[in-house]
Amino acid sequence: MNKKAFALAAASTLALTIQAAYAQDKPKPPPAWHQGKPPALAESKLAPVPGKMTETSAAEIPIDKMKLPKGFTAEIWATGLVGARAMTLNEDQSKMWVGTRGIGRIYEVSNEGGKRTVKVLAEKLTQPTSVYANGALYVFAIDKVLRYDNAAKGAAGQPVDMTQAFELPPEQHHNWKYVRVGPDKKLYVPFGAPCNICEPPTKEYAQIRRYNLDGTGKEVIATGVRNTQGFDWHPKSGELWFTDHGRDWLGDNGPEDELNRLSKPGQNFGYPYCHANKVVDPDVAKGKKDACKDVTLPVTTMGPHTAVMGIHFYTGSMFPKEYQGVAFIARKGSWNRTKKLGYDVVTVKAGPDGKGAKITPFATGFMDPKDDSFWGRPAYLAQLNDGSLLVSDEQLGAIYRISYQK
Amino acid sequence: MLTALFVSCASAQSEERLKACAACHGADGNSTIAGTPSIAGQPRIFLENYLVMTREGIRGTDVMQGLLKGVPDRDIVALAVHFSKLKPGTPKEETDENLFRRGREVAAKNRCASCHEKNFQGREQMPRLAGQREEFLAEAMLQYRQNRRPGGDTLMAAALYGIPEADFKALAHYFSRLK
Repeated sequence: MNKKAFALAAASTLALTIQAAYAQDKPKPPPAWHQGKPPALAESKLAPVPGKMTETSAAEIPIDKMKLPKGFTAEIWATGLVGARAMTLNEDQSKMWVGTRGIGRIYEVSNEGGKRTVKVLAEKLTQPTSVYANGALYVFAIDKVLRYDNAAKGAAGQPVDMTQAFELPPEQHHNWKYVRVGPDKKLYVPFGAPCNICEPPTKEYAQIRRYNLDGTGKEVIATGVRNTQGFDWHPKSGELWFTDHGRDWLGDNGPEDELNRLSKPGQNFGYPYCHANKVVDPDVAKGKKDACKDVTLPVTTMGPHTAVMGIHFYTGSMFPKEYQGVAFIARKGSWNRTKKLGYDVVTVKAGPDGKGAKITPFATGFMDPKDDSFWGRPAYLAQLNDGSLLVSDEQLGAIYRISYQK
Repeated sequence: MLTALFVSCASAQSEERLKACAACHGADGNSTIAGTPSIAGQPRIFLENYLVMTREGIRGTDVMQGLLKGVPDRDIVALAVHFSKLKPGTPKEETDENLFRRGREVAAKNRCASCHEKNFQGREQMPRLAGQREEFLAEAMLQYRQNRRPGGDTLMAAALYGIPEADFKALAHYFSRLK
């Protein structure tokens, strides 16, 4: 062996030793993408639906195709918000902020004189969302937390960087965040599982935390949460209700997405061992006795792969009485399913204890089951002071307003 | 005044831009420069998304971000359509049979084709890998796995989780030698 070859061999042995030692320290879960994809689905070409990264004008939006119960009408409220997701409003609703994912922007919408104008407030962020509370706007990217003070009349100037205080973990997949300030004046922040199905690499994932507004007082309030995309507090009980996405690659019919209710802090919602209504995971729960023991089961399952997003308990006076306290839930729609499902807004009527949940379609027509085509993907909901309901459409970067007249 | 000038000259601007693209990516969209990807025959949506995110400053290199600064959506769509229609080149480099075979195995095991298509020609938001420059592919995969590729799909980072670097090299070799 010549000198050079020996050096190379030595180097590669060293690399292997390091790799082996590392592997012993921290066993890596297999790659997320195909993990749990059984041989029967190995040839499946299902893949996430591509988003649209360019602006869509009002004229290009087929709003007439949206179907609503009698007495309800929909109009285009704002456009030009590419990738629009969660919405948050100031007190008099003259300002709204809208987060995104891939395009990295937070939009600020001015709602004055019956007109909406849109500007980009923050950009170049990794999948940012925002929440307004008590005069301040909090922006959460996967790897960054910023606060704009004195935002009540619009956010301006340089934000305060609060990242350090929140101890954000490094993995990015499933770590876009829906963030709210609860009735207890704390920030509620989810941390998704960084894979389709795995035992997360550390205990920092698959959970919902809450913090004081300054990032102190971190507390994990829910575990076993794979990928929640929205939550709200029940208007009567004050309890947290949240949506959660079920895992992929177990076939068209499940496990279903979930609507959950947190009745006491610290509850475990099952991931990665126990999904939906006691579906034991065939990959990671192997040989595990009673995978669903001590797991809090959902209020209701929400359909397989439907991608349940934002939830809003209706508290306005515009809609008929039967909608009081009812949960509106946006289902962005499936990709890991041979026939599309979701692409709608549904209502869930249930007791404050979650019993007797009944799902009813509310806004439909975004998807055509005849040819599996779609035009919009409802993502989040917000209630205006007049009682009308806003729906953001992530696909077309628009916000629709749904109102009711007898 | 400047804006009006820009709008009236949009097509001339596009010509200029195409020249700028060609300078590095090749007039036919097939790059001969190390580290610079080929873009001929890439899916339109992939190109569109990439160009928008680079303009926004969340993907791509400093050079690309500089070139795309302020380019309106309609011009980005035009560029994406243009390059998606060009014919991908034929690989000319020699093939290392062992590395090629290993790459094929790793690709099959990790089901890369499930998104990137059987012949790895890509579709929709998922890029073409066939015939792409080898060193570019290897570096891109490494960047994904190390979260050094901001703006990229987090699903891709998750898909590469736990794959050793040696296998990235094999994958890159394999994809780059495909037609």
